Amino acid sequence: MKIIGVAACTSGIAHTYIAKEKIVKAAQALGHTATIETQGTIGTEDELTPEEIKAADVVIIAADIKIGGRERFKGKKIVEVPTSMVIKAPKGLIKKIEEELKK
Amino acid sequence: MWKKLQLKKHALTAISYMLPVVVTAGLLIAIGNLTGGQVIENYKMSYSLPDALVSLGVLGMGLLAPVISAAIAYSIADRPGIGPGLFMGLVANSIGAGFLGGMLGGYLIGFFIKWLVKHLKVPKWAQGLMPMMIVPLLSTLIIGLLMFFVIGVPIVWATEAMTSFLAGLQSSGKFLFGVIMGGMAAFDFGGPVNKVASLFADGLLLEGVQEPEAVKVLASMIPPFGVTISWVLSKAFNKQKFTTGEEDNIKIAFPMGLCMITEGVIPIAAVDPIRVIVSCVVGAAIGGGLSMSWGVGSPVPSGGVFIIPAMTDPVKFTIALLIGSLITGVLLFVLKKKPATDIAIKDDLEEEVDFSDITIN
Repeated sequence: MKIIGVAACTSGIAHTYIAKEKIVKAAQALGHTATIETQGTIGTEDELTPEEIKAADVVIIAADIKIGGRERFKGKKIVEVPTSMVIKAPKGLIKKIEEELKK
Repeated sequence: MWKKLQLKKHALTAISYMLPVVVTAGLLIAIGNLTGGQVIENYKMSYSLPDALVSLGVLGMGLLAPVISAAIAYSIADRPGIGPGLFMGLVANSIGAGFLGGMLGGYLIGFFIKWLVKHLKVPKWAQGLMPMMIVPLLSTLIIGLLMFFVIGVPIVWATEAMTSFLAGLQSSGKFLFGVIMGGMAAFDFGGPVNKVASLFADGLLLEGVQEPEAVKVLASMIPPFGVTISWVLSKAFNKQKFTTGEEDNIKIAFPMGLCMITEGVIPIAAVDPIRVIVSCVVGAAIGGGLSMSWGVGSPVPSGGVFIIPAMTDPVKFTIALLIGSLITGVLLFVLKKKPATDIAIKDDLEEEVDFSDITIN
């Protein structure tokens, strides 16, 4: 499964990046790939390319605040969660997504 | 229904955009004050570098309500919310409604614009005018007038009523007067209630009455000090009460508090308003009551810890300040709940999380 996503937290200096790392690591451990864009206070980093978005199976938006560029994911399968959830249980979340997608 | 409105997400977006502004403005005022600067009243006269720093910071503080309001409106209504949101923040400043008024204005205009964009149908030739003229003009006009006449007018009434009430009280009970002044000054961190107390104290200072000014100075410092104390307590007893984000904000709020800038507490109060405001008001009220009944006066209207030596009784002032801050700190420590979003950085450790709400759209 190809996962892409966006991470953004309130202060935009810590949780954003922890969330990104958690998703990427959990995805690898479960045999998936994940590319996550961060929208911190410093601005957008690792911006998703149109090709990455096109190839993705699911979009994880891990954000406590409004994210920019949401319209890029039109027509995609989107899962929206707070950053705390992916930080606490990234593997659980990905497994849950696997289940939901099988339905 | 409430959950669908995502009120918290909009407020968090506002805090996210406001933080760099409040930190920069606060530190500029602090540096300026420390180097002896004053707000520039008349730009046609000469002014010093410290004066310029203080003024820059004060201008930045004036941006708080507009930034909050615009960010909330943006979070709700996307790009069309930004312009009209800025207007609502300016109205909040002018009618003296402070950051709470800015939040309210942002929510009102954000939802209004969202509704307008969805339901207002215009002929094809006018579609280009929708984002440029129709939506911003209609929303700013309608919600703006609502802010002026429905929200602004009661604030003016309340301000007048409070001022005459305080004037009547001033002669009778000193402790009670101090309690009310202190509580008001700490209530909304530079908002309308604080402004009433502040202007009242400044007015009395001009007449040579110095005690209320001391209460004002004291009550402006108790919220940042109290919040810092409750954070220290949470560390000392190893009980988590604040998220890492809140901890970072407290580390900034404390040095701002030294300079009597209460606004540093706003990011912490906006997440958990009732507990934070209650603790701050109780601590500041008791500190204010003590300062007033001990007869401490301040000849200077602002300056934080650096003007304590100028007080008529620096020792008693410091004691009242410490007692008030301790009460706020302990109270907040007791009231505050363990944050829901604490982070476990340990890898591979998964917590139990309820995924039942998750839907894939």
